[in-house]
Amino acid sequence: MGLDDLLNLFVAAILLAGIYTTMSIGMTVIYGVMKMVNLAHAGFMMLGAYFALEMSERLHIDPLVSSVLAVPVFFLLGVATHRSMVRFVPVADEPTLPSLLLLFGLWLVLQNVGYGVWGADDRSIFSALTMATFQFKGIVVPVIRLIVFGIALLSLVALHLFLHHTWFGRSVRALTQNREAGQLAGIDTGRTAMLTFGLGIAFTGLAGALLANLYSFTPEFGSSFMLRSFVITVLGGLESFSGVAIGAVIVALIETFSILVVPASYQHAISFILLVVALLVLPGGIEGLLQRWRRLG
Amino acid sequence: MKNRGIGVHGSSRRPAVRPAIACIVAGALSLLGPWWSGIASAESAGCPDAIRVGLVFPMTGREGRPGTYQVEGIRLAMDLINARGGVNVKECGKRLPFKEILYDDQSDQGRSVQLVERTMSSDNVVAVLGAYATVLGQAQSVMADRYQVPWITPGAGTSTIFTQGRKWIFGVLAPVELLGYTTMKFLGSLVDQGKFEKGLKIAIAVENTDHGKEYVAGVNRWIKEHPGAFKVVYNESFQLGGADFSGILQRIKTANADIFLSDAHLQDYIAMQRQYTQMGLRHRMVSYGARGPEEPARKALGPAADYIFAGIWWHKDLPYPQVKAFVQEYAKKYHREPDSWYAATAYDGVRALAAAIESAGSLNRTSIRNALRKVRLTDSLLPGKVLDFEENGQVMAPFVIVQNKPGGKVDFVYPEDSRTGEAVTRIPR
Repeated sequence: MGLDDLLNLFVAAILLAGIYTTMSIGMTVIYGVMKMVNLAHAGFMMLGAYFALEMSERLHIDPLVSSVLAVPVFFLLGVATHRSMVRFVPVADEPTLPSLLLLFGLWLVLQNVGYGVWGADDRSIFSALTMATFQFKGIVVPVIRLIVFGIALLSLVALHLFLHHTWFGRSVRALTQNREAGQLAGIDTGRTAMLTFGLGIAFTGLAGALLANLYSFTPEFGSSFMLRSFVITVLGGLESFSGVAIGAVIVALIETFSILVVPASYQHAISFILLVVALLVLPGGIEGLLQRWRRLG
Repeated sequence: MKNRGIGVHGSSRRPAVRPAIACIVAGALSLLGPWWSGIASAESAGCPDAIRVGLVFPMTGREGRPGTYQVEGIRLAMDLINARGGVNVKECGKRLPFKEILYDDQSDQGRSVQLVERTMSSDNVVAVLGAYATVLGQAQSVMADRYQVPWITPGAGTSTIFTQGRKWIFGVLAPVELLGYTTMKFLGSLVDQGKFEKGLKIAIAVENTDHGKEYVAGVNRWIKEHPGAFKVVYNESFQLGGADFSGILQRIKTANADIFLSDAHLQDYIAMQRQYTQMGLRHRMVSYGARGPEEPARKALGPAADYIFAGIWWHKDLPYPQVKAFVQEYAKKYHREPDSWYAATAYDGVRALAAAIESAGSLNRTSIRNALRKVRLTDSLLPGKVLDFEENGQVMAPFVIVQNKPGGKVDFVYPEDSRTGEAVTRIPR
């Protein structure tokens, strides 16, 4: 493989990391504040994909614009899900069985709703940009992947600004760091949890709608992405947004470049080896490692 | 106490004998075992009003659509046979209609096994048709020998199902290994015609499943039989449901092959071919095994699906009168043409069963199983027009090679007798 080939692989990995970050951030937001592993993540991603499809086919709205529209729609869906179900799960400092069962059940329900509404056929979105590429000094860049990466990046910047420059964002960060201290400081934990769940689902819906521009999908869509989201979230340190972004880059780089040394059929296994390594060697994830370095520094 | 003792002995002499006789009869029955159950199922009812056939297919869930199409093919065949008065069963001295006992396994492997067990053990069926997809077929096939009920699958083609030495299973789909072999036969025919030079390089990337492995085995078998015709320069497998194929495609790019062969599920075919096109890969010919002309793929890939060739089990445009009649009857009943091969193989599965029952002249399961082994439909819908089962229970009907052409067109390009268009041997840039 020449330098051009390696650079092509590097660009492909970075674009993939953008997608991975977007799909993992929703899970991290929810875990950070509510200490719930959102097992319905794949279900909401699947709904996001069908949302983009329906908007494109019925209302002729560009699928990338639909992806952005998915954010408020899925925020409301998340809030409604919290109000109707999730708020009844007892609050805890770590994931509890009721929350896991509830969200797993919800995933199955969403999947079956998907089968009922859209059937089992493979669906996809094809637009003028789907196959478009441009070349830069021998590096081929797929336009659609670059746009998806751009939207993912913008949404992360928006999230960062939101978390650091709004009262609600500060509440989210405070509860992520220390729930009891947050309560003592007067944060309405119930309301913050509801809005956080909405925010997490909004990101999940956005990720699903963006992924619909790249892949075909059925109501089972999202399950393999959800497993990667787990790996990235754990690798990132469970509650850290910057950790998730770094984790996504690591997973994407390792998955892409591993083909040079191990068979492609082990690509999925590599993610899970990373998960095991992270749990054994880096229980605090990348964020924990960074904190340790900062302290040493 | 004494009286009671005498009473017991005296008055219970006959009741004590009855359980003993019952035990002997039960023991004898259990020794007679499967033979008895086969006879009993048919004869306990004498000659029933209908021939009961169990159907276990995925009607909902992931495989719901193709499973439903297979049931549609079965129902069409049964309706047409029943409209002619049914199947002639000699030992009954009359024609009997088919009656379906249908179960939906919801695309779930565990449920599929349970339902096959249930219909084989409790529904008094003479045979079971079941399973779309390899995993469901592998699960169901175990039950046939256990309950000694003929089992016919119109939707599972992996030969691992048929290499376990089972005696009660039959498959209407030709093995995937033959798909790889036929693909190479087609490419070899292009060399013979002078459209390809000898020694062209092939890159292979297949899904990491039995399906993919068998495909590669077929390709390798042909190459071994024809040394020098082609050279495999890259051979790799990938995980199902991949999010990103850039790594493997980059390796394929650097392998600098002339032909790219893959074997993939529909979702992976779409994802991989999208990335293949985006990365600017070019080969003289490209195939994704049995994938190619599917409507969802053509919609998802647009012009990037043009010129992809595929080996398929059946196509509605096969130039046989029986295929034309089938398509007409299907459209009449369901108000649309058959989608892909699903309904056709199921339809032929029922016809093979009907032929076997007529040949056996009996509803005895063993007789039907033996007759199925010898059955030969010479007006089959399958390519080659003949359906008969090999020693292992699977058909070896040839595949036909189709090639996508611009404008949603599909041409048969191999074999010669079913050709509707020329094979394009260099995909236009």
